[in-house]
Amino acid sequence: MTSATKRSRNPLGGRNVPGGLAGWLWLAVIVLPVYYIVVTSLRPREDYFTENPLSLPSAPTLDAYGRVLENDFARYFLNSVLVTAGSVVVTLAVSLMAAYVVVRSRTRFAGNLLRLVLLGIAIPIQAAIIPVYYLIVELGLYDTLLAIALPSIAFAIPITVLILVNFLRDVPGELFESMRLDGAGEWRMLGSLVLPLCRPALVAVAVYDALQVWNGFLFPLILTQSEETRVLPLSLWTFEGEFTADVPAVLAAVVLSVIPVLAAYAVARRHLVSGLTAGFGK
Amino acid sequence: MRLRMRGRSGMTLAAVMSVAVMTACGGSEPGEGSDAGAASAWALTGGSEDAFRASFDSWNNAHPDQKISSEWFANDAYKEKIRTAVGSGKSPTLIYSWAGGTLADYVRNDSVVDITDGTRDLVDRVLPSVAANGTVDGRTYAVPNTQSQPSVLYYNRKLLDDAGVEPPATWEELMAAVEKLKGDGVTPVALAGQSVWPELMWIQYLTDRIGGPEAFQRVLDGKPGAWSQPAITEAATRIKELVDAGAFGEGFASVNADAGADVALVHTGRAAMLLQGSWVYPTFRSDAPDFVSDGKLGHTAFPTLEGGTGDPSNIVGNPTNFWSVSADAPKKAREAAVGYLNEEVFSEEHIDALLDTGTVPPVEGLEEKISEADDADYLGFVYDMVRDAEHFQLSWDQALPPGQAQELLTNLSKLFLGKSTPKQFTKAMDATL
Amino acid sequence: MAAPALILFGLFAGLPLLGVVALSFTSWDGLGTPSWTGLDNWRAAVTDPVTRDAVWLTVKLTLFCFLFQAPVSLLLGVFMAGRQRYRALLSVLYFLPLLFSSAGVALSFQALVDPNFGAGTALGVPALAQDWLGDPDLALYCVVFVIGWSFIPFHSLLYQAGVRQIPQSLYEAARIDGAGTWVQFRRITLPQLKYTMVTSSTLLIVGSLTYFDLIFVLTGGGPADATRVLPLDMYLTGFRSHDMGKASVIAIVLAAVGLTAALGLNRLSGASRMESQTEGA
Repeated sequence: MTSATKRSRNPLGGRNVPGGLAGWLWLAVIVLPVYYIVVTSLRPREDYFTENPLSLPSAPTLDAYGRVLENDFARYFLNSVLVTAGSVVVTLAVSLMAAYVVVRSRTRFAGNLLRLVLLGIAIPIQAAIIPVYYLIVELGLYDTLLAIALPSIAFAIPITVLILVNFLRDVPGELFESMRLDGAGEWRMLGSLVLPLCRPALVAVAVYDALQVWNGFLFPLILTQSEETRVLPLSLWTFEGEFTADVPAVLAAVVLSVIPVLAAYAVARRHLVSGLTAGFGK
Repeated sequence: MRLRMRGRSGMTLAAVMSVAVMTACGGSEPGEGSDAGAASAWALTGGSEDAFRASFDSWNNAHPDQKISSEWFANDAYKEKIRTAVGSGKSPTLIYSWAGGTLADYVRNDSVVDITDGTRDLVDRVLPSVAANGTVDGRTYAVPNTQSQPSVLYYNRKLLDDAGVEPPATWEELMAAVEKLKGDGVTPVALAGQSVWPELMWIQYLTDRIGGPEAFQRVLDGKPGAWSQPAITEAATRIKELVDAGAFGEGFASVNADAGADVALVHTGRAAMLLQGSWVYPTFRSDAPDFVSDGKLGHTAFPTLEGGTGDPSNIVGNPTNFWSVSADAPKKAREAAVGYLNEEVFSEEHIDALLDTGTVPPVEGLEEKISEADDADYLGFVYDMVRDAEHFQLSWDQALPPGQAQELLTNLSKLFLGKSTPKQFTKAMDATL
Repeated sequence: MAAPALILFGLFAGLPLLGVVALSFTSWDGLGTPSWTGLDNWRAAVTDPVTRDAVWLTVKLTLFCFLFQAPVSLLLGVFMAGRQRYRALLSVLYFLPLLFSSAGVALSFQALVDPNFGAGTALGVPALAQDWLGDPDLALYCVVFVIGWSFIPFHSLLYQAGVRQIPQSLYEAARIDGAGTWVQFRRITLPQLKYTMVTSSTLLIVGSLTYFDLIFVLTGGGPADATRVLPLDMYLTGFRSHDMGKASVIAIVLAAVGLTAALGLNRLSGASRMESQTEGA
């Protein structure tokens, strides 16, 4: 009986032995590098050259983590948090307002706005990086955290607006009408109707935007230079050059950079998954 | 939704706040805000980093009102950033460089200031041939700031002994040693092919030994077909010989010099020889102290080539590194920087610090000091080499303008990987002239 | 109310796109100010063998990425959609690569595949101890694999969501008709996943065409120029050779290729409006 119930739940029907095998094989492909990163980060620097790379360290140590933390890791972490939080808040605020206009307004302007937004999604940021660099230099913002945040926000707006528009379209128009009859202005409707209604979509898209900024590499690479403004992904790259012949420390830095995201994953897996597929799946 | 933001005020507030937070953090870098007028410097990690730090500390202690702050970069990351920084007017007061084509660009764009008058004391201390690299049209725009960096052929004594070969003095001996070492299952020569620039040392030495410094001068002068002249063509052919003989082993293209992997190959006994700049000696000492103190690290000059017209005393590498002073820096910072250059660079303490780390500054009359130093044998070898060199060729990637330098690195890498023949290499390079 | 979004987008995304066109007609070495040179950069870029190679290499990379990621993601997504408990557990672990930044993935694999000290030496299998990133004939495949490693989890999530939306009644009806696993997969699962496939393929192809971060840290375009795809070519030309004008030409090509691919795929799939790919998934 149990096999029958299982069968009825499985879209492919039946027990799928080759599928199961392939699933475990892929697990090995995923986990082996992760295992390697962790064990190597626990290996003493001298042993890296002599021990078997996949063996458990014979004398595991957290020294590599110490060397990373001494190296201003906390500052890079804080920079990443600031840039990510700031960018996401601004992106959500301005995108929600724009999405509201697109959905509620019946003018041609709204339709054109949406088309513009859609075009923006397909623009690769690499294509605009040189003028962005020029603009940031001219504005005197080069090598500030704002230099990373402003373009990050600009390039996050299209996808954010699109997702919110799709979501807002499902809100019944009567809700807006009844509020309007109560004498509510646009801003009040946005604040006390749209915002609460949009909450699931906002969470999902916030996660998506946050991951993009948190892991972003190109803007920090080109628009900042000093230690004061270095963010995590860039610091990993610079660690490689600074920790001469110290692979355990480089990998320890990688592990440390993953921990915050891992923590978020553990606490709110569902939100993270829905955020990642925000707008692309449901 | 417990915490309900109310309409316009809520959202505007959030936006303003986050922008304010970011501005506040962004504005607190050196050279701005409350620190206006403070001088700053960027330098490289590794090598003589400690000597630099000591000289800054010494200056800052003696001049609390003219402090210089410093920041440290890995080689490749630095080269990537500095030009952007200079171009954006956000450069540090003291700009670290290799002189050459980049300095010429800086001078043409008025990015650096004439420091002829402020640095006479310093320039007097330095070997004239080295100091000359920092002048453009007779004026000083850059001054030497650290050790000389000739490329030296390092070797693992034990591996050579085991194979029964002497350190190669001629090309034939080198090729014979390669065969022997390969037979022993050792990589004959470590080469950081991923970084590419170490490959320059090979083609530069070969070109110089075969055709003398005039050969590359033709390239610098932009003479049509300069790359396909016989000297460079033959140098490229010898490189192909070496690669075909398996001199660099199988995995050289994954070896990264910034990560010190080439040095590690030698002291862990996986590779026997290494042609590298003298800055790797401190790395050997810190990564493998016993290896160095037990005398297992050998050093010699690049082999001679029969029939070559270049003087065997000629060396390649970097005569030294240089400091320039940014034209964008405030006046007060520029004064502090020039004061630092004149007082601290190659002061007695600075020279001692450099010798202590196992490097040799390009300063006159050091023979006695060196003979008393810990690594007297090695330091004396490097010092004599630099002092007695008929010609000291600056690294080609620094001597050439950036565009050509990049093409050189790409094409050279193809030559070493066997993706280009010597002929294809010289032809591709001719096209960049 | 739409003004803040429009201003931010216009200033830091719209304006730069116009700017890149303007810059492509100038000569600028990053130090001074740009000076007008007309069509010189365009002529130089069109005749430059390096850039032509980069275009070809980009197409190759995109093709390989698609051939590797699309089937694996599809199968994995279907597998993850199964309700068995071990599959749920595996799905949690499959997610791991998504937690890493590109820079982190690249640095880790650099160490992992190092021919001298990497994991390939651990197992004593010579086939694994190759010079993956140093051999110009292997580096591109290695890059394709690492990109796949980090992005397949994302695409399989899309497929998982897609499969779970297929009505169970379709499968039940098929079973009554006596259809086996393979027939069900071919007749029901695949056609029902059409929109997901379009979404995933569009993201995958446009993503591969314009991908920069991971390749930059992993190989820097090397060895020689074996992995110098268009985005790398743009960066190296602009920020290492300091030829911003020519780099702008490459950037325009990049934007054109990306837009064409996105619109073309949309047309091809019969979806007339872009929204449909997001609604249909």
